[in-house]
Amino acid sequence: MPLTLLALWQIACTSGFFPPQVLVPPSGVLSELLALGRSGELQRHVGESLGRLGVGFVIGALVGLAVGAALALSRWTEAALSPLFLGLWQVPVIAFVPMLVMFLGIEERFKITVVAVAAFFPVALATFDAVRGVPRAWLEVSKVYRLTLPQLIRRILIPATIPAILTGLRVAITRAWLVLVAVELLAADSGIGQMMEMGRQLFRIDTVLAGVVVSGLIGFALDAGARAIERRATRWKSA
Amino acid sequence: MSAASSPKSVRIAVGLLAPVLLLAWWQLQATAGDARSLAFAPLGSVGAAFVEQVESGALVFDAVATLSRSLFGLIIGGGIGIALGVATGLSRPLDRLLGPLLHGVRQVPLMGWLPLLGLWIGAGEGSQLVIVCLSAFFPAMLNTHAGVANVETRLLEVGRIYGFTPLQRFRRILLPAAMPMILTGLTQALAFTWIAAIGTEILLGTGGGLGVTLQNAQMQQRMDLILVTILVTAVIGFAVNQLFLALRHHLLRWQPKSL
Amino acid sequence: MSVHVRPTAAPQNIAQPGRGALTISGMRKSYAINGEQRLVLDGIDLAVRPGEFVSIVGASGCGKSTLLRLIVGLEDDYAGEIRLDGERVVTTSLDRGIVFQDHRLFPWMTLEENIELALLNTNVPKTRRAQIVAEHIALVNLTGFEKAYPHQLSGGMAQRAAIARALVTEPKLLLLDEPLGALDALTRVHVQAELQRIWMAQRSTMIMVTHDVEEALYLGDRVIVMAPNPGRIRRIVDVDLPHPRDRASPLLHRLKDEILAELTAAPSEANLVRFPVRES
Repeated sequence: MPLTLLALWQIACTSGFFPPQVLVPPSGVLSELLALGRSGELQRHVGESLGRLGVGFVIGALVGLAVGAALALSRWTEAALSPLFLGLWQVPVIAFVPMLVMFLGIEERFKITVVAVAAFFPVALATFDAVRGVPRAWLEVSKVYRLTLPQLIRRILIPATIPAILTGLRVAITRAWLVLVAVELLAADSGIGQMMEMGRQLFRIDTVLAGVVVSGLIGFALDAGARAIERRATRWKSA
Repeated sequence: MSAASSPKSVRIAVGLLAPVLLLAWWQLQATAGDARSLAFAPLGSVGAAFVEQVESGALVFDAVATLSRSLFGLIIGGGIGIALGVATGLSRPLDRLLGPLLHGVRQVPLMGWLPLLGLWIGAGEGSQLVIVCLSAFFPAMLNTHAGVANVETRLLEVGRIYGFTPLQRFRRILLPAAMPMILTGLTQALAFTWIAAIGTEILLGTGGGLGVTLQNAQMQQRMDLILVTILVTAVIGFAVNQLFLALRHHLLRWQPKSL
Repeated sequence: MSVHVRPTAAPQNIAQPGRGALTISGMRKSYAINGEQRLVLDGIDLAVRPGEFVSIVGASGCGKSTLLRLIVGLEDDYAGEIRLDGERVVTTSLDRGIVFQDHRLFPWMTLEENIELALLNTNVPKTRRAQIVAEHIALVNLTGFEKAYPHQLSGGMAQRAAIARALVTEPKLLLLDEPLGALDALTRVHVQAELQRIWMAQRSTMIMVTHDVEEALYLGDRVIVMAPNPGRIRRIVDVDLPHPRDRASPLLHRLKDEILAELTAAPSEANLVRFPVRES
């Protein structure tokens, strides 16, 4: 079916049914992609976007892991921090953007921070659930066999919590990608989002469509890759 | 003394500690008098901004604007999503036909459609509403599909025993059995439309709404207004979500308590 | 389905002839599993009289449930004949009701809504339905729970509700597939007595599959003992005792020992000898 749609699309455009301002044929999108690739522009945009995503995600995920684990392990920490945490969680990440622009401007620092914030919440929540969710029964078994703390962490806590944490990481990275593209649309001088916005301002549908395709492919790759890692790491778990 | 065994008042006091400290730190920064404090608005001015928004009616206006976009998206996008979810859940051929296409569209970051929509129908209300509808569409469709496709055969057999027509089977077994998943999809869709409405308001900056006010406030360097609007956004978002959960609880009152 | 005059509380004689007579002759059923044809039921011959209560016992895998599903019409594609009052069974019908091991009440409906749903495709006038539903709720001793949701009912109560739902259409034939299997031992004894009382009041033809031999003998006029691989009738035991039955009856216990010994022994040839035994 997708192939038939592509074919219809191609025919509709080349036959003049859709004027080039409205829609450009797949061949046009493809040639634009190739042109961007040849000039190195595509690589630059993709590289910048993925770079911001990578750095921001790692920061946000690490902080999220730490905070989530702390909240789960210490009831006092939970009592102290969870009202603030839950309150902030009610705000869509994108609503923080104007505030962050005022603090950080629109340079790289700002974009990476937004990505980190977007990644933080899903990871923190998943870590909290994962650590809290370790069955008491397993902890009691470890007591019976008198495991030391490092052994407990390595052999029980980490395998027990990895599945849920990986799911949280997957949600975080897909959400972070979404937020990054949005932010690049708003204020950036490079990146896939900016490429699309520029294309829009120059009335270049082929550029915009090329950006749509690339951002979709990256989103798909991130999600599929994360799912594959999840599956491999949870092979011991029954469905 | 462990946290679990302390009296509730102590726990509440501890919970307030972090926000209070944060506010105190904030106020300190705002009154520090150096270049950085420009970004920090004194707490007093935040309060004043709140009063100003309420009195000028801007608060209500913004809230209504964003909420109505969100609800529009939920009803239209969610409605179409449920319809398609039912159709693909019931008809395997249809699912194979439409599935890959819809999943492909879903991979594109939602806001990434804005430039394209901007070229097609202009960067205004229309594009905004399309994005908000789209944000509701996918969770509604995916969850409805799962709910309908996974209705237990043993319940459908009861329908066969009592000679149910296809319409009866749909109305009296499939739909109620799938309702928990459908409502889960709508709960997600509600959250997504809220985010999409605010996000498109920030990105497009026109037409009123909480996001527009945020964007304008940023351009005017008014942190006090930003904070007020963020607070209002959080409160309204929370309240609407709670209302929806109450509705869901009522509709699913037949479920055992553990669910 | 026409509106029937409700039977009175006093037990009637065996119901009118031609109402609920089931005949199975030479029935065979195979399933295709992994490309192979596997024979699940072979050479089933059975005649059930109207108003009779027949129990079926047998080890796992002897096809008891498949037999019921074929009779009720949830499965089709069989060789041989299954006829109810002369008509061939092809698909489901309101003439044949069934109670499963899991009550299968719709969780989103109250008790009375669940029972009334069975009347949806009958031509019982809407005005009469509430009353018929109330009568059947009273029949299974669940008055007062009309507005309860299934999750609020205990296992035994939910099964009684399922029985009420199956009876409300006044089927000629009621099938019960291990109806008490999911209940604890004490509840089971209680619901067995209820089932006997209901059957005595209604005198519908009933066929019940169970793995509990004592239950089969307590309730049944005849007990059909099945053997597995492939499923076939090993022998049919007449239980010539009046209803209501006495659990302590020596005859019941003797028959139970005999049947159990046979079921737990090495498999033997199919054996259709009937043993009419009279209480001395």
